Amino acid sequence: MLGTGWLFLFAVLMAAGLLFTMVFFIIMFSDLECDYINPIDLCNKLNQFVFPENAAHAFLTLLFLLSGQWIAFLLNLPLVLFNANKIRNKNHMYDATEIFRTLSGHKTESFFKLGFYLLSFFYYLYRLIGGVRSMIVALISESE
Amino acid sequence: MASPTQQLPPGWAAEWNAEHQRYLFIETVTGRSQWEPPVEGPNAPIDAVVGPSASGSPPPATHNPKRRQYAAGQTQAYYGAAEPESSYDAGYTAPQQPQQGGGLFTPGLAQDGFGQQQQGAQAPYYPPQDAAAGGYGAEPAAYGQPQAYPQAPAYGQPQAAPGMGALTDQFGQMGVGGQKPFQLHTANLLTSPPDPRELAIPPPEIRLPPGACLSQNATHANAEPGVLRCTLNAIPTTASLLGKSKIPLGLVITPYRSLKEGESIVPVVADTIIARCRRCRAYISPFVQFIDGGNRWRCCLCNMSNEVPQLFDWDQVRNQPGDRWARDELNHAAVEFVAPTEYMVRAPQPAVYVILIDVSHTAVQSGMVATATRTILENLDRIPNDDNRTKIAIVCFDVSLYFFSMPPGSTDATMLVVSDTDDVFLPKPTDLLVNLTEARASLENLLGRLGDMFAENHSLGSALGPALQAGFKLMNPIGGQILCLSSTLPTVGPGALKNREDAKILGTPKESGLLQAASPFYKTFAIECSRAQVSVDMFLFSSAYQDVATLAYLPHYTSGQTYFYPAFNAARSEDAVKFAHELGGVLAMPIMLEAVQRVRASKGLRMASFHGNFFVRSTDLLAMPAVPQDQSYAIEIQIEDTITAPFVMFQVAVLHTTCYGERRIRVINLALPTTSNLSEVYASADQVAIATLLANKAVERTITHSLENSREALFTKLVEIFSAYKASMTAAGAGASAQLSISENLKMLPVLILGLLKNVGIRQSAQIPPDLRAYAQALLTSLPSQQLIPYIYPNFYSLHNMAPEAGTIGENGIIMPIPLPPSSERLERHGLFMIEDGQTIFLWVGRDAVPQLVMDVFDLPSYEALRGGKTTLPVLDNPFNQRVNAIIQKTREMRRGVYYPQLYVVKEDGEMPLRLWALSLLIQDRADVLPSYQQFITQLKDKVNGAGNY
Ligand SMILES: [Zn+2]
Repeated sequence: MLGTGWLFLFAVLMAAGLLFTMVFFIIMFSDLECDYINPIDLCNKLNQFVFPENAAHAFLTLLFLLSGQWIAFLLNLPLVLFNANKIRNKNHMYDATEIFRTLSGHKTESFFKLGFYLLSFFYYLYRLIGGVRSMIVALISESE
Repeated sequence: MASPTQQLPPGWAAEWNAEHQRYLFIETVTGRSQWEPPVEGPNAPIDAVVGPSASGSPPPATHNPKRRQYAAGQTQAYYGAAEPESSYDAGYTAPQQPQQGGGLFTPGLAQDGFGQQQQGAQAPYYPPQDAAAGGYGAEPAAYGQPQAYPQAPAYGQPQAAPGMGALTDQFGQMGVGGQKPFQLHTANLLTSPPDPRELAIPPPEIRLPPGACLSQNATHANAEPGVLRCTLNAIPTTASLLGKSKIPLGLVITPYRSLKEGESIVPVVADTIIARCRRCRAYISPFVQFIDGGNRWRCCLCNMSNEVPQLFDWDQVRNQPGDRWARDELNHAAVEFVAPTEYMVRAPQPAVYVILIDVSHTAVQSGMVATATRTILENLDRIPNDDNRTKIAIVCFDVSLYFFSMPPGSTDATMLVVSDTDDVFLPKPTDLLVNLTEARASLENLLGRLGDMFAENHSLGSALGPALQAGFKLMNPIGGQILCLSSTLPTVGPGALKNREDAKILGTPKESGLLQAASPFYKTFAIECSRAQVSVDMFLFSSAYQDVATLAYLPHYTSGQTYFYPAFNAARSEDAVKFAHELGGVLAMPIMLEAVQRVRASKGLRMASFHGNFFVRSTDLLAMPAVPQDQSYAIEIQIEDTITAPFVMFQVAVLHTTCYGERRIRVINLALPTTSNLSEVYASADQVAIATLLANKAVERTITHSLENSREALFTKLVEIFSAYKASMTAAGAGASAQLSISENLKMLPVLILGLLKNVGIRQSAQIPPDLRAYAQALLTSLPSQQLIPYIYPNFYSLHNMAPEAGTIGENGIIMPIPLPPSSERLERHGLFMIEDGQTIFLWVGRDAVPQLVMDVFDLPSYEALRGGKTTLPVLDNPFNQRVNAIIQKTREMRRGVYYPQLYVVKEDGEMPLRLWALSLLIQDRADVLPSYQQFITQLKDKVNGAGNY
């Protein structure tokens, strides 16, 4: 069970990272609304993070698949497909010419992802604690 | 101060109305009542009593007591109007005590009898003024809250009826709230067919509360509809009221209109005293209020009290005290402030033009290069160059780039070729972009022989993207305008495009993909251009697929314009004339450079979305590197909070550099009354503005969703408006009705929407080439209403039997024939008809046209000898020919903008495509799957009735 513990430790860290990315996105969007940043700079900045974010999430999901964590895998699968679909339709990047028209959609999406990462963070933490506890139990029973 | 009764003219009484906290004035003989204090003589203009200073300019410290500058509230304004001598005191005395006793006229109580009262007015035209005044005197207040009356008759042209104006005044004087209310007249569309003449009627009058405007001349203080118009001329106070009406709220702006003969230029405030609100940064306008003894002004957008600048009352030219009331910004709807250095990021730039000319084999063969160079040569003098700073460069391209070096002092140009199109560089740091005055000789020399230089060019293909990049590099530190003339699909370097035209997907949901950008280059490059203050105009000429949709993105985001000449062939003189006229017009246009546009509005209103050619740089700032004349923008507005003010204002500000190097701010004001009454919302709706806004929204929807979805959305919107109107304004309510009711001022909306649904840009069809569609969409989103309305609802005239004065010169220039509804029912086999949509003119000749008619107009012996197609009408020595020519001439000149409509002759039995094209402009006909007007109206009625059933 050692592997599961490490896997979820990694997942917790990843989820935290993704969480912060989303917070960053949302802050940037509200900056745009307040005219603290212009749409060109905003899109240039955010577009750097779009692919890494998607890739990190897909990588995590892949790890769940490979390690047979079916529940975690199935939980993450819809988002992977959603991201993949966006990339396939070539609308995963933020477009400075359209950004003000599509801003509310982007914000909703970011809030949704934020909620999702938050929930998955706690789920991974729960699994991590469960894993650690079983590890300790195993250690204790070993030592007895 | 005494009660107003003492100042009343004989025969009038004043009653205090407790509910409205003000006096109601009643003429005792007729029983007529009104809120405004009566003045001697019938219908004397109330505003006129508030006289201007008779003597010279007063010093800034003292104030002329005749002015209303101290008036803080509306009460003083009303009474000030009646008693000019005592208006000074009005603001400083205690409020008047209401008079006790007497019957109160409470608005709304008398509504029950209203329906019957209205029945009396159902004569074909309104009864004369006296009868109206006497007959309705008993329930005057009812007119303040007009009710729907179901059986309203259809009257042909209410606004044109002679008695109407007087009657409107009468109604106006009886208004509630001190402002003239809008009168709602319901029309039944099933019995009143559309009359094209109604589109010429101005939008519903803007009826501001008295005292809203500082200026003597309130009509000049509010923007003309051609410059700035709102879809509603009375703004609902709440979002729910607006939602209930279903009418979209938005502005249509043409901030930079060309001047027609006899029009005066926008007044310029040259003393750089610019009074702006500290909080919302709005500019001072005729609708602010002076308070605190005239030392402060209250912003009419956010109510902030601001200091009046010290030099506001100082005439800097004559160096003496000036008259603030004569200042242009307090008297005109549109003014230009000369901007001080705070408004500049850098010194004002000179005008810079880079002209990119496609010299590939196709371009040379079509005669485009020859026509273009000749036109540029002929128009060198018209290019704005008042300050002799204008710079120009000419770059040619096929698969390579050809630069021309014109060093000062030389009269010759040297050609430099760059074949590396992947990484464009300038072959020389200087002398490529030259001063128009200094390099005039070499330019003329170059333009004269450019055609010959490339006459034998056999190179096919086009490095359009690299050419654009080169043009950008040439002007990069300064900015300016790129005119790009291209005859083929770009094939080389960045921005190369593939032919994605596929006849199979036309008419299917996938078609909207063809309207989206095929390559990100034209969007990302557009953003770069916008940043560097570069604007791009596209002139496209291809006979094959050129991907106009993708190329048009570049002008779209850089505030340029796309011009399209499909299958251009200069051998046809009509093609050459059209292109030369339009290119010449663009070159001669005094463009605004380095511009940003912002629209501010009163508290509670928010600019929600923007449509038109610009780049949205922040939530409400539109970046426009070069503003061409006669381009229109549409902005949708949201009501965020309940509006409590009696009127709201919209203020458009365009900060720009003129093409002769002066930084200026053009400010345009539009003040509109507010209303909490749904019937007023309908009665104040401007159908032309609504159609313009919906056209912009529909085009956007074709790209974000699909053509099908966009058409459905248009129709749904129309159904919603009619359903809402039926439910709230007619007796039918939610039930089924045998009528299709809408207010008189919205009568043309269905036919305009039908025209939009049948426009090439939106129409359901599997036959429309994507290039034509994309071009039509570019027009739909940039034409001002004046050109857009004929573009969706073409003008149709019968020429063979036109009135004898039509085509002759009258008081207002050439008299046009009376337009007919665009329907082929009106076509006659022996007739001569004209159909025009502002872009094209068709002369339709019936197959039984008598030889004399053909002889008179075309100088040909008979109908058989006549040939269809592009043509130029001969000028003959007979009155009929001259009248027809005059009408065509007038059609080409009567609208603003550079467009030069081409003339086609269409024979009734002539070639099919041309005939179908001409007939497709008769939008009230049935065509394929598209319904006729009657069918459309029936569909609409069924939907409206159906919508009410569940
Ligand atoms: Zn303000």
